[in-house]
Amino acid sequence: MTSILECRELMKAYGKVIAVNNVSLGIGRGETKVIFGPSGSGKSTLLRCLGLLEKPTKGSVYFNGVDVYVSKQDLNKLRARIGFVFQEPSLFRHLTALGNVMLGLKHVSGLSDAEARRKAYEALKLVRMEDWVNYYPAQLSGGQQQRVGIARAISMDPEVVLFDEPTAALDVELKWEVISVMKDLADRGTTMLVATHELRFAKEVADEMIFMDQGQVLEVGSPDHFFTSPNTERARKFMAKILG
Amino acid sequence: MLFLLDYSTFLINGFIITVEVTLIGVGLGLILGILAALGDIFGGRIIKIIVNVYVEFFRGSPLIVQLFIFYFTIPMITGIRMDVMLTAILTLALNSGAYQKGYLKGAMEAVFKDQLMAALSLGLPTWKIFLYVVVPQALRIVIPAWSNELASMGKSTTALIVIGVREFLNTGISITAQTFRPLETYAFITIVYFIWIYSMLKALDMLYNKIKIPGLEPVI
Amino acid sequence: MTPVEQIVFLLKAVPVTLAISFLSFLLGLGLGVSLAFMRIYGIAPLRYFSDSYEKFFRSVPVLAVMLLLYFGLGPLLPIFKDPFFTSVISLGIVSGANQSQIFRSAISSVGRTQMLAAISIGLTQLKALRYVIFPQALFLAVPGLGSEIALLIKDSAYSFIIGVIELMKHTDILRASQRSLILPYISSAIIYVVMTFPVANYLDKWGSRKKRELGL
Repeated sequence: MTSILECRELMKAYGKVIAVNNVSLGIGRGETKVIFGPSGSGKSTLLRCLGLLEKPTKGSVYFNGVDVYVSKQDLNKLRARIGFVFQEPSLFRHLTALGNVMLGLKHVSGLSDAEARRKAYEALKLVRMEDWVNYYPAQLSGGQQQRVGIARAISMDPEVVLFDEPTAALDVELKWEVISVMKDLADRGTTMLVATHELRFAKEVADEMIFMDQGQVLEVGSPDHFFTSPNTERARKFMAKILG
Repeated sequence: MLFLLDYSTFLINGFIITVEVTLIGVGLGLILGILAALGDIFGGRIIKIIVNVYVEFFRGSPLIVQLFIFYFTIPMITGIRMDVMLTAILTLALNSGAYQKGYLKGAMEAVFKDQLMAALSLGLPTWKIFLYVVVPQALRIVIPAWSNELASMGKSTTALIVIGVREFLNTGISITAQTFRPLETYAFITIVYFIWIYSMLKALDMLYNKIKIPGLEPVI
Repeated sequence: MTPVEQIVFLLKAVPVTLAISFLSFLLGLGLGVSLAFMRIYGIAPLRYFSDSYEKFFRSVPVLAVMLLLYFGLGPLLPIFKDPFFTSVISLGIVSGANQSQIFRSAISSVGRTQMLAAISIGLTQLKALRYVIFPQALFLAVPGLGSEIALLIKDSAYSFIIGVIELMKHTDILRASQRSLILPYISSAIIYVVMTFPVANYLDKWGSRKKRELGL
C-alpha cells in the first residue's frame, strides 16, 4: 500500500549533534504505529521532521508518494493535512478551547465562522471536552489541555496524526484521559504515528512498534514481538526497564 | 564641523559637568533608594506612607518641575538659598532614589526570602544576614536595572538647562547662539551623548557578565 | 489671580499636554511594533537597522533630539519650525526605540512553542504572527506600555523649551506673571502626578492580572 507519510534516509543534525541518523520508515492509511525508546533517542526530532515542522539535513520526506521538498509544494497546506500533537502545552493561551480549535478551521480551511464553530464543537466532543469549550487553557488541567490539543489537530480532517510524547509532561492521574482518547481515535481508524513511553497503549492498539536509540531505528516489529522476545540487546533492556 | 574645535574647552567642561552630575546623582540615589527600600520593607505604617508618597511624587512628575521646586519654591518657603549645582545634585539624587527604590526593594525581597531561613539556621543575627548575604546577592541582581538607571540619568541631565546649569547640551545652545550653525552643533552633541551612554551600557554589560552568578539572573 | 483661577489656568493646558503625549505614543507604537518584528522576523539588513535604531535612540536625550530638529532642521524644512509638530516627532522617535524593546521582550515571552503550534495547523508565518503571537504579545506589553505613556506625559514638559504652550509653559507663565514661586510649581507637579499615576499603576495591575489569567 502506498504510504501516506514516509521518510527515507532521514538525517537531522543540530550543529555537530546528530539527532536523527539515517532513518527510513513510513505509515499507511489506517495504521497505528508507535515509536519508542530512551530519552534523547531522536523520536521528537524525527516526528517534527515528518510533520514538516523542521527541515531535515539529509534525506527526504514523502507525503502521499510525493517528495515534499523536491516538488516545492506549499508546506503550509501540507501541514494542515498532517495533524501534530505536542508534548509541552501548546494551546493558544489567548483563546478558549473552542477558539483554539476554530482558528485553523477559519484561517486555514477557510470555513465560515458558523461552520468552523460547528466542526470545532464536534472535534471537542470526540475528545470529551464539550463541557469545557469556553474555558481558557490556563483554567484547564494538563490532561484537558492535551485533549483540546488533539481536537485541534484532528479538526481539520488530517490524513495522518503525529503524537510527540503527548502524555510525557502529565501527572500520572491525567495520563489516562489522554490515552483513552487516543485509543478511541485508533479504533476509529485514524492513521496515527505516536512517540510514547506508554507501552500498554502500544500493546493494545499498535499495528507496529519501532524501537529507536541514539537517533537510529534499531528494531521494528509487532507488539507481540517486542513484548515476548525482542531481537536486539538494547530493546530487550529497554523493555525490561519499562515493564519493570 | 571643525569650527567646534574652537569651543573644545567649553564643550569638554560642559561634558564633564554632565558626567559628574550623572554619577553623583545616581550614586546618592542608590543610597536613598536603599534607605527607601528598607523603610518600605521594615518600617511601620507611617514610614511606609512617607516612602510611598516620596516615590510616587518623584516618579510621577517631570524632572523639570522638580528642579524648579527645589531651586525656587523651597528657598522661598524655607529661606535657605542653595547654589545651582547643589540644587541640581540634590534633585537628581532624590529623583533617582525614587526610581531605584523600586527595583532595589524587589531584589532585596527576592533574595531575602530564600536566604533568610538558611542563614538563620546558621545562627546569624538578622543584620549580619542582611549585610553579608542579602545585599551582595541583591546587588548582582540589580546591576541590569541599575545600568538602565545610569543611562536614564545621563539623558535626564539635559533638564538641568532650565535652572541654568552649564551642562553639555547647554553649551550647545550657547555655541549656536554665537556661530549660528545649529545643525552641526546639535548633531555633534547628540552623537557624543550616544557614544557616552552606549559605552557606559556596554561596560556595565561586560561587568555584569564577569560577576554573574549562574542562576541568579534577574527575573524581569 | 486667585489661587483657584491659577489652578484653572494650569488645567487649561492639560489637553495640549495629553495631546502631545498621546500622539507621540501612537507614533512610537507604530515604530516600536514594526522595529520589533523587523528585529525578530526580518532579513539581516532589517534586523541590523532595527537594532541600530533601538540602540541609538535609547542612548540619546529627548531634549537633544528636539533641539536638533527644531533649531537644526527648522531652517531647512519649514515643518520643523512648528514646535508642537517637532516635539511630537522627537518624543515619538525616541519612544519608538523604547517600545521596540518592550515589544521584543513581550514577543519572546510568548514562546517558540506557540509559533510551532501555529504552523503545525497550517498557518503561514504571517497569519501565525497576526492571530497567535501578536495578540499575546500585546497583553504582555501592556505594563511596559503603561510606564511608557507615563514617561511621555512627563517628557512632554521638555517641549516648553521650544515654545509649545502646554502645562509646563502655563506654569512658567504663572510664575512670571504672578511672581509666585510656590503655587504654580507645586500644583503643576501634582497635576502631572495625577495624570501619570493611574496610567502607570492601573495598566500595570491589569497587565499582571491578565498574565496570570492566561498563564503566561
